[in-house]
Amino acid sequence: MSATHPLIRMRHVGKHFGTFKALNDINLEVTKGERIVVCGPSGSGKSTMIRCINRLEKHDEGQIFIGDIELTDKLRDLNAVRREVGMVFQSFNLFPHMTILKNLMLAQKLVRKTPKAEAREVAMHYLNRVKIPEQADKYPIQLSGGQQQRVAIARALCMKPEVMLFDEPTSALDPEMINEVLDVMIGLAKDGMTMICVTHEMGFARSVADRVIFMDAGEIVEQGTPDTFFSAPENERTKLFLSQILSH
Amino acid sequence: MSFDVTLIFAALPKILMGIGLTFQLLILSGVLGLALAVVLMLMRVSGKWYLSWPAQVYIYVFRGTPILVQIFIVYYGFPQLEFIREGILWPIFRDPFGCAIVALTLNTGAYVSEILRGGVLGVDRGILEAGEALGLNRRQRFTYLTTPIAARLALPAYGNDVISLLKSTALASTITLADMTGIARTIVAQTYAPYEIFISLAIIYMIITFFIQKLMARVERWLGRYTLRTGQT
Amino acid sequence: MDVLSGWWDDFFWGSVVVAQVFLASLVLMVLFGLIGAAAKLSGSRIAHKIANGYTIVFRGTPEILVILLLYFGSAITLTAIAQLFKPDIKFLDVPPFWAGTIAIALIVGGYATETFRGAFLGVKPGSIEAAQALGMSGFQAFIYVRVPEMWRLALPAFGNHMLSLIKNTALISIIGLNETLFVAKQAIGTTGQPFIMYIMVGVIYLGFSSVITLTVMALEHYGNRHMRVTT
Repeated sequence: MSATHPLIRMRHVGKHFGTFKALNDINLEVTKGERIVVCGPSGSGKSTMIRCINRLEKHDEGQIFIGDIELTDKLRDLNAVRREVGMVFQSFNLFPHMTILKNLMLAQKLVRKTPKAEAREVAMHYLNRVKIPEQADKYPIQLSGGQQQRVAIARALCMKPEVMLFDEPTSALDPEMINEVLDVMIGLAKDGMTMICVTHEMGFARSVADRVIFMDAGEIVEQGTPDTFFSAPENERTKLFLSQILSH
Repeated sequence: MSFDVTLIFAALPKILMGIGLTFQLLILSGVLGLALAVVLMLMRVSGKWYLSWPAQVYIYVFRGTPILVQIFIVYYGFPQLEFIREGILWPIFRDPFGCAIVALTLNTGAYVSEILRGGVLGVDRGILEAGEALGLNRRQRFTYLTTPIAARLALPAYGNDVISLLKSTALASTITLADMTGIARTIVAQTYAPYEIFISLAIIYMIITFFIQKLMARVERWLGRYTLRTGQT
Repeated sequence: MDVLSGWWDDFFWGSVVVAQVFLASLVLMVLFGLIGAAAKLSGSRIAHKIANGYTIVFRGTPEILVILLLYFGSAITLTAIAQLFKPDIKFLDVPPFWAGTIAIALIVGGYATETFRGAFLGVKPGSIEAAQALGMSGFQAFIYVRVPEMWRLALPAFGNHMLSLIKNTALISIIGLNETLFVAKQAIGTTGQPFIMYIMVGVIYLGFSSVITLTVMALEHYGNRHMRVTT
């Protein structure tokens, strides 16, 4: 994949749940190294959109390409695609019955068939990266929310993905722990990781994003660089949303 | 009417001679029933209608009818059927012990399969999604994620079922087996002392139940060691 | 199948007996369960201990044993008492119907105690506090807020208790109650067809448990109607 060839392409993507249209004519291209923030009111389809990218949700209309591979039902090796797309969830979703180290090593061994010693090295490397190497032998329940989310990020990074998806990574955290997670994400961005981040943290968007996308009612309403997006939004709905979240 | 304590001391050793049979029934049916339950549960959650459906019907029938009726069907009813009498399994069905094992296994298998299914369904979906997102395939998710967590979730209900199974073994006495209840009933018929004998018997069962519960609690603590914040057991 | 002819009547009346036992034991089971739950929820340590003892005894003892104990034991006791008044009475017993009904009600009541207690505690304290803050009396809060929610929470387990009652009825045939299993035994005596007869009993009980299950499902559907997002 070259620098100009898009990593992710979504063309006229639609999805409905029963009669409810969650996504409507979504068109999006993400190039390598881009940092994208997606924002919008609840129910706007932001989570659904990124969950379609690693096929945790199946899109009903349109096409989604990861690199050159199209996501369809006939896709033989979906897991091969998922190896390249890392995901961090709002509720962390660490494996509760495994130590932190095992959490980081499991997918490496099972999916990338990495030998145990190497997997452990990679795990400790990323655990150091997120600044909690001393927690390696603890169980998730013994860690704070912020620590758990950092482990979750490390776990996704251990698979050395091409792109990282973040689904409201700080929404379930107590306020004092949000920054430690955002710091890790900013570090990742600085190192050039391609990322799509659904979040309400506008400070993060302003400092890190190449592009900010606003979604409402299943559609991409507006997108632009952080400067233009925050200071001069064009669409009425965008203006309304920004006034609601930025007022206090 | 008097309460003859000496009768208890005389009867206890005789009743306890049946404990071996009681435990044989409990353990053999318990293990076979668990194996059957795993198979049934996998059929139920397979998503394929030709597996799920028969399993559902089986579970429905065996949970909807009394165990005593099931025992009688196997012990009294099966020998009436020619293909049973002439089949290779006849030695099992000819013998009351075999019949009891078969009936108890088939019965507990149905109940435990639902308990296991409850455990499987109780696994947090988010955890499985994280596994999916990391690229684990269905079998890997079921083996490394679902099974350990579901086992812990199912354990309390499973413990209750083991105790139910213990109590069901007493019904073996209705098909001539000399388990503890069978022996007790014989003694009562001879001595006309139901209180002394049956109360003693009840106490023995309660003691066994107590030990089963203690054992289950220990297994629960071990399986659940990752749920404790302070790392103690 | 024509083996069954001549026995349809008897099976029918046997089924009626099953239904009668069910209804009688249901009432008693609820009674025992509520009393037990109340004892456990009350502050009194003695009541708590007694209720605990009750649950332990009746959950740890085989059902058949409880039935036998109650039936033969009560017979002996009653005979002894009667002989105090009229020495020439040889034998007095409690009808199998009542010995059996009370026995299974006590057994399942032990489980019901935990169910009701759990349901009681499962009502969010916030709901009760809100009711009190609105000025409702303790009694009003109990009737209008706690009981409806308790009922909804207890329903699934309560359904299982009802199924237990129905299935335990078959055990009462051992002490001579004239329900379907007992009828089958007699039928086998004359026809020599154990398989069909016992299958028939199974079908009848399956019918009963199906009715109970469907009823509980309907009640759950009704009880949860305010919990569903779409009606």
